Amino acid sequence: MQLSKDEKALKITKTMVKITICWHVLLAVFGFLFLFRVISPKAFAGIPLWLSYIAMVFVGFLSLGSIYSIIQLIKNKREGRSMSLIVNYVGFIVSVLMLFQNIGVFLGVDALAKTFGSSIAWLSGVLIGYLIHSLGDRFHYRIRIEERLHKIGKYLALIFFVIFLIKAGLWQAFLYLAKQILIPTNLINGIILIFFGFAIWFMWRQKTALLLNRTNKQTEALEGFLFLSPNLIGFSIFFAFPLIFSLYVSLTDWDAFGNSNFVGLANYFKIFTLNLKQLANSSQEFFQVMDGSVFSELLRFNFLGKPYVLGAADARFWIALRNTLVFGIVTVPLSAIPALFLANILNSKIPGMKIFRAIYFLPSIAAVVGISLIWQWLYNATVGYINYFITIGLNSINTIFATSYPEAHIRWLSESRTALLAIIIVSAWQTMGFNTVLFLAGLQNIPKELYEAATVDGAGKGAKFWKITLPLLAPTTFFVITTTTIQAFQVFEQVYIMTNPPGSPGTSTLTIVLYLYQNGFQRFQQGYAAAIAWVLFIVIFAITLLQFRSQRKTGAYDV
Amino acid sequence: MAKKMFYVLSMIVVLAMVITACAPKAVATEAPMETEAPTMAPATSEPAPAEITLRWRTRPDNQAEIDVYSAVSADLDAAMDGVTLVYEPGGSESSSYQDVLKTEIGAGTAPDVFWIPGTDVADFATRGLIMDLKTMADATTGFSATDFYPGPMFHLTFNPATGKTGEALWGLPRDVSTFALYLNLDLIAEAGADDPRELAKEGKWTWEAFRDVAMKVQALGSDVYGYGANAWWGPYGVWINSAGGSFFNADRTACRLDTPEAIAGLTFERQLYVDDKVAVPYGEDSEPPFMAGKVAMFQNGRWATPGVRANAKFNWDVVELPVGANGEGNWLFWGAYVVNANTEHPEEAWKLVQMLTTAETQGKIAALGANIPSRMSQAAFDAFLTFTPPANNQAFLNGIAEKNKPTAEGPLWAGSWPNYDSIMGPMVSKVLNGEMSIEDYQKTICVEANKAFQK
Repeated sequence: MQLSKDEKALKITKTMVKITICWHVLLAVFGFLFLFRVISPKAFAGIPLWLSYIAMVFVGFLSLGSIYSIIQLIKNKREGRSMSLIVNYVGFIVSVLMLFQNIGVFLGVDALAKTFGSSIAWLSGVLIGYLIHSLGDRFHYRIRIEERLHKIGKYLALIFFVIFLIKAGLWQAFLYLAKQILIPTNLINGIILIFFGFAIWFMWRQKTALLLNRTNKQTEALEGFLFLSPNLIGFSIFFAFPLIFSLYVSLTDWDAFGNSNFVGLANYFKIFTLNLKQLANSSQEFFQVMDGSVFSELLRFNFLGKPYVLGAADARFWIALRNTLVFGIVTVPLSAIPALFLANILNSKIPGMKIFRAIYFLPSIAAVVGISLIWQWLYNATVGYINYFITIGLNSINTIFATSYPEAHIRWLSESRTALLAIIIVSAWQTMGFNTVLFLAGLQNIPKELYEAATVDGAGKGAKFWKITLPLLAPTTFFVITTTTIQAFQVFEQVYIMTNPPGSPGTSTLTIVLYLYQNGFQRFQQGYAAAIAWVLFIVIFAITLLQFRSQRKTGAYDV
Repeated sequence: MAKKMFYVLSMIVVLAMVITACAPKAVATEAPMETEAPTMAPATSEPAPAEITLRWRTRPDNQAEIDVYSAVSADLDAAMDGVTLVYEPGGSESSSYQDVLKTEIGAGTAPDVFWIPGTDVADFATRGLIMDLKTMADATTGFSATDFYPGPMFHLTFNPATGKTGEALWGLPRDVSTFALYLNLDLIAEAGADDPRELAKEGKWTWEAFRDVAMKVQALGSDVYGYGANAWWGPYGVWINSAGGSFFNADRTACRLDTPEAIAGLTFERQLYVDDKVAVPYGEDSEPPFMAGKVAMFQNGRWATPGVRANAKFNWDVVELPVGANGEGNWLFWGAYVVNANTEHPEEAWKLVQMLTTAETQGKIAALGANIPSRMSQAAFDAFLTFTPPANNQAFLNGIAEKNKPTAEGPLWAGSWPNYDSIMGPMVSKVLNGEMSIEDYQKTICVEANKAFQK
């Protein structure tokens, strides 16, 4: 019996759905086998912990998703199509990444960066071709010459581009990739990739969609997620997973080399273990009233005439927290208030103001490391320029007023009293430019009519600033303060570079992120470092929340 | 109902974590890696093995060192059949060489052979990051651990499982170094002070003679200093050692920074910084003022020589450290080439480690002037003396001579050196900055520092 065209197409579509179901059965079976092996500690002893977790989550998703797809596709339901598409799409992306990793494409990109430089001269041929092509445009009235020049320019550019690719190692790359793809594991990876690709095609087809009773809502949702997927995948891999993983790590004693034990909240207990004891007299040693092998002295104080000592299991954390708070409290106003006044000055229409705006903005875009090294040199107590200029100034005063101020030997970075202040100055100086630009943008949004009306009413410059500028800048001010606070609480680079050893003198510049780094990457207590990171997150979150609440009360943010 | 269930489940999870936190900590130390002895390839007509690639890394201080190491790598590449060597200059000390290396090991991308400082050997070995080469070394004809300085080899052959030395081999020392005082001879002459080199020759180079020179130079002006040293454990350790003290007890299992001898050393150093004010303030980099001709005696290692050669615009030389109650108290600094525990080519890596530490290779690197060969041989000493300036190279050799009892830099097998250093450093800095009294320091230093020995 001859089948009609539609019947044939329906039969093919049904076959495709059946093949997809079989593919999902295979995925589910192999997935569960794989999962079982991952869970078994011996089978995957060589795999890093984090990788085995990712593999477990991924394979678990593929397996469970496949089972759901099978059930729904057998019932001819559209949900089966949606799930099948999601599973195969995720599988396809992961297979592509794995294949690229295995055949060395990512390293190849690095290698290309190296060979690019040696062959870049050939790109000048492309430029010449482009220029010849452009030259043709000048011969509008001599059409043959125009066409000829266009053709010559186009082919010349093409030829030189091909030469550039060949010189950059195109053939070698093809040969290398061809060899790599023939390696059995890569070949299997490639075949799986093709299967995923076919499964997507089978399910995405219009006829399959109609067979499985698609709705407009389902189509819109699938298309929407497809467009969102690059961002969703990036978010999941580079943000959500590290976030969840760091929370898990904070509950372990992981050292980054595979040694890990689940310790529950022990890391957090260590951070928050404090011990308050009364002293017999103010000079009594702390270890006479508490176990010195566990606690370190954090604070001594008198309360109602009685001396007390506060000990901490990790006194350094609390010292770092105190330093960070001090840093934040001083840096935020120091980088926001001058920025506000500077923005007001730069908002005027004086010739050359754009150059000044660029100059003030420069520190914000300059590398922190470079800036820190330069300031470290400037701060040098013995041969630094800051002390040198202070000394010149003092000498001038001495000459003019017959005083006898000594030479400046301020130990900016080597004395506990000044080291944190020195770093605060650098940070405030560096952040100020960016904040100025933000304030400038805010100032330019304030309607000029308000100032004109105020002038008519007889308001002076000060009144205009306090009554118009400042209130209407409140949203910008709130944004500046919030972002600068968050930035200040994460201070690391300046301290790490400018103080030697980092955090010195004593512990006067030890900040939370520096302490986190020392624990995580120098002592390899990744679990403890992750716990510190989470505590810091809670501190920043709480402060930001407070700022939002206080801002909401004034209603300024809604302006 | 669902909300209630959520709260109950949350409480159970938190409770479970609290209970887990109370459980005794499982011992996670991995057994040190043992490797099979290299087996000789059967002399059959098997196809030639494929070319393998070995990556290796050092911590160079400057481009000149990178160039020499690159040349050494090219020479060794030519000498090793079937092996392609790739030399990767690591970052300098200030660019966190060890932190980067450890992170790469964690990620599985570290080189096959790499250099680490002596203080890090225990950390790397007990975590199972480097390979125990003992079995391969025993099977290697002509290899002898006694060719190298005994101080470094004590730690490089230490077996943490048994607590005995000579039972393992974690690597071979690349080079050794020690402290000397770099002298600004012009400044010393201008101050009318005695030449420290002459005093040393006459056996009169004592702490008091040193202080006298420093004070005379300092009298030249408020921006001139008699002495300068950088803020890390090496310089202050010298004064402690020289007074007869030590960082640790004999078996390095407890703090000994509070002994009268250790306190005597620190008290003398504090006097230089706080009372006499003859030293570049503690915590300030002493190298720039020394190069600017403002410091008479700059305490630093052999590694500073290339920089002084290039930048000093005055007459300079070196002299050994002044003698205290227990002699010079100098350090024997060292670092070692070790093999990545995850290398796919342990035998080739071991061969490379040996080739990198031959007298010939060490001679090429020592010619740069930055370090001293780690093999003890008269030929190496004689060659080293020719690498001038400074004219008085003998001062460095005196620093590491056995008769002067140098203390070998070393790791803490029974504790954590990074933790110990992070407790000791800030407290010493407070003392030398005059922010903490010696008495308060003595009372608390070991209470705090002993925490580094808690596992």
